[in-house]
Amino acid sequence: MKKYILLALAILFVAVYLFPLYWMYVTALKPSSEIFQFPPTFWPQDPQFDVADVWTRLQMDRFLTNSLIIAVGTSAIIVAVGTGCAYALARVRSVWMDIALFAILMMQVLPSSLMITPIFVAFSQVGLLEYPRLAVILAQAAKSLPLYIVLCRTAFMQVPRELEEAALVDGNSRIGAFFGVAIPLARNGILVTSVLIFLHAFGEYVYSRSLIGERALQPATVGLQSFMGPNTSDWSGVMTYSAIYVTPILIIFVLLQRRIVSGLTAGALK
Amino acid sequence: MRLTIALTAVGLLATTVIASAQEVELDLWTIDDPGEYHYVLAEEFMKEHPNIKINVRTVQFRDMVNDLARAVATGSGPDITYIDNPEVALFASRGLLLDLKPHIEKSEIVKEEDIYPGPLASVTWEGGIYGLPRGANTIALYYNADKFREAGLDPDNPPGTWDQLYEAAKALTKPDQNVYGLAFSAVASEEGTFQFLPWLQMTGGNYDNVATEGGAKALNFWKRLIDERLASPDTLIRSQWDSTGTFNTGSAAMAISGPWELPRMSQEAKFEYRAALLPVPEEGAERASALGEGDNVILANTDNPDEAFQFVEFLYAQMPRVWNEFGYLPASQVEVKDPKNPEIYAVFEESMKYARNRGPHPEWPRISKAIQQAIQSTLTGQAEAGAALEAAQQQIDQVLGK
Amino acid sequence: MVRFWRSLRDGSSFDAVLVWLALGYLIVFSAFPLIYNIVISLQTVDLFSIASLNRPFVGLQNYREVLSQPIAGLVFWNTLQFVVLSIVFQLCIGFGLALFFQQDFPGASYLRGLFLAGWIMPALVIGAVWSWILAGDFGVLNYWLRSLGLIDQNIFWLSDPSVSLYSVIIANIWLGVPFNMILLSVGLAAIPHDVYEAAELDGATAWQRFRTITLPLMRAPLGAVISLGVIFTLQQFDLFAALTQGGPSNASNVAQYWSWQLSFQTYQISYGSVVSVLMIVFVIGVAAIYTRSTRHEQAA
Repeated sequence: MKKYILLALAILFVAVYLFPLYWMYVTALKPSSEIFQFPPTFWPQDPQFDVADVWTRLQMDRFLTNSLIIAVGTSAIIVAVGTGCAYALARVRSVWMDIALFAILMMQVLPSSLMITPIFVAFSQVGLLEYPRLAVILAQAAKSLPLYIVLCRTAFMQVPRELEEAALVDGNSRIGAFFGVAIPLARNGILVTSVLIFLHAFGEYVYSRSLIGERALQPATVGLQSFMGPNTSDWSGVMTYSAIYVTPILIIFVLLQRRIVSGLTAGALK
Repeated sequence: MRLTIALTAVGLLATTVIASAQEVELDLWTIDDPGEYHYVLAEEFMKEHPNIKINVRTVQFRDMVNDLARAVATGSGPDITYIDNPEVALFASRGLLLDLKPHIEKSEIVKEEDIYPGPLASVTWEGGIYGLPRGANTIALYYNADKFREAGLDPDNPPGTWDQLYEAAKALTKPDQNVYGLAFSAVASEEGTFQFLPWLQMTGGNYDNVATEGGAKALNFWKRLIDERLASPDTLIRSQWDSTGTFNTGSAAMAISGPWELPRMSQEAKFEYRAALLPVPEEGAERASALGEGDNVILANTDNPDEAFQFVEFLYAQMPRVWNEFGYLPASQVEVKDPKNPEIYAVFEESMKYARNRGPHPEWPRISKAIQQAIQSTLTGQAEAGAALEAAQQQIDQVLGK
Repeated sequence: MVRFWRSLRDGSSFDAVLVWLALGYLIVFSAFPLIYNIVISLQTVDLFSIASLNRPFVGLQNYREVLSQPIAGLVFWNTLQFVVLSIVFQLCIGFGLALFFQQDFPGASYLRGLFLAGWIMPALVIGAVWSWILAGDFGVLNYWLRSLGLIDQNIFWLSDPSVSLYSVIIANIWLGVPFNMILLSVGLAAIPHDVYEAAELDGATAWQRFRTITLPLMRAPLGAVISLGVIFTLQQFDLFAALTQGGPSNASNVAQYWSWQLSFQTYQISYGSVVSVLMIVFVIGVAAIYTRSTRHEQAA
């Protein structure tokens, strides 16, 4: 019985929390005059869902491919560069490590909108703007790396040190222990964090807007902005666009996170 | 055999190199999206001039100045770009734009005296002409004729003075039906300044002289509209486009905005809409209106100034088409054949005669910001109109170096 | 050389290399923009001289001028409110939900996954949706409050200077909850069940278990979430752009948005950088507190 009360409560929480998401879907279905009606309609009077139209008209396949490239590239760099750093910061306690952690946190202070001018200037001087998507990947990786390190660090903190020491005693090198013991045991944390980073990069906007001039190379967020300028009237189109963009990620995540957050963690530490 | 293929390939390569050597590429930045003014006309131009290739890139309106400055500073700017008219002085004063005067003097299409004084002034800086207007716009009072009749007002006799506007707004406001009398924009952006300046200018003030009795009167008039809920309090954060959106859905009976609204209005507004000149403070008072739209300018460091001018000249020559196809008013004396919405066109055409510049001044954004702050602090009741304008005047004087 | 390889394989160089890999990357790509901002804040900079660092040096003049602007005090007070209120509510709601979904009931993990919607919706869309929810005339929130009889006049969430900041905070709390919840969930999942079972056998109440087991063991994740929350909150820019543009009359203006306005709207780039630098100083404080707090962590 208690379980079902909890379930009901959970559904209530989710319903309240997801209202803005629901509103996005409903708006996608409304003609624009209905959006500004009072009292608002909770279900569109005459639903129209123009997925195919928006998809082709805005060439979303190309935009989404670019988003994917940027997100994959960013995540790859971050995981490659950041995982070891997070591990070291979790294992070694010294003033130097404190300073390093402090410095890493510091690098993430300013919003992208304030970082972009110097980045643009520097990248254009070294010719990186010739490869605009790479430029965005490099900049975005720098942006999210501190987040990844701090979060992964907590994941490594929760891996018992004894297991690793046992591996060292068995004749493993530090490198071997790192790859053979620490990473497998912290994989949940690493995975969750990587997904967060990936989604962050997938939704990156400010750098892409400024660094990528060519329409064919722009990601979906820039494509979205370009058709919701100051004189947007096609709000249902905007919301359809974003529904197309959000739904698949949401489904994948709901399916995956069960494995990520609960299943694996519980088993791994036993 | 192989050798011949290779040789042919080299030959082909050589011919393409020669062909492309004659081709000139021009980079064009615009705020338009594909299907709009610059995209359409660049296509047409390239058809007429196969040797010139134009690469069009869209930049968001609010990012244009920053992106352009950044690109110019790092030497990666376009050849031609669109700039909003108050920003021309910013670039011209730093010598970043090409002075078109020598080209215009030789041109058979562009004649300086044809350009209306307002748009001409906005591209003029210290005697040079640094751009050609692609069109113009201004603001007027749209009204819902059906709602006028319902409220017992005469749709053939729209409000002409501020008092009449107030009375009409009052009669048209229906709180129980969620209808406001008037929609306009007092947002803290250039749009707020754009909407307010004509009210100030009608009372004799201007951007360099804001702390006037008339200015305070105008601000208090706005405040009264909002305080008495004849206009939505969200007027403070709504752009002109959003405000007029409420007019189109019938949530406001009148709206102050420009001709760019017409394409959407003709689709969304399910009622008879008309337009009238902006009301004046009292019968017989001086008229004023805002001057909007932007200019096609050529960057000073372009490698192909002649071809670039050829293109800008071509754009200018399309002035008779801009009303019907792109929704701007002509910025020069041309005849518009069969204008769409002829009555509304007539109102805007008349209104253009009173349209006045913002600036020009290289530090225009700071002047504009001071005016926006005065509007917002008055309308939120944080300051009294006179004091708010006085504060704005001080900041403006500082910018103007008075 | 051999010694180096050995220490890389088995000793402390291994850690140093790992740290330097990331730190080096950040120094190349992140430190430069920060330093650039600091340098600019001490110079007179024109929109068109951004590409060279050779500009008139004016020392702290810019700082004096920014701090003497009438809205400076308001902006910093707003920023503080924005950060503190956002963090407190995000953390409480996120932690509460994480604990709630930790319980055993059907569908718990699927439902929890749905909370990520807030994390994956594009910022532009989130802004637009919230602006409709909060709109004064046709907003859903006002409709509900009126239907429930809680108000009889519409509240102008975004254009009333006394509430506009809180409206943005509400939207930002919504945005931050999933981040807090998911990370704290991961942390909670790592606490072994038997610890709780033992405590339950000893007769500890739920609250006692929370206070003596959960909180201490959650110290590391909480520290990380709070400090990152502060940084994220300070980076929140899109919501301001979409909802209030800092208005009306700067009532909801915060440091990051003001800095952007100065740099990119009125082109007073030095002033904008001054505000950025002040934000950096603030975050140095936060980062110092976080780093200190990690010293007490059980290096497990």
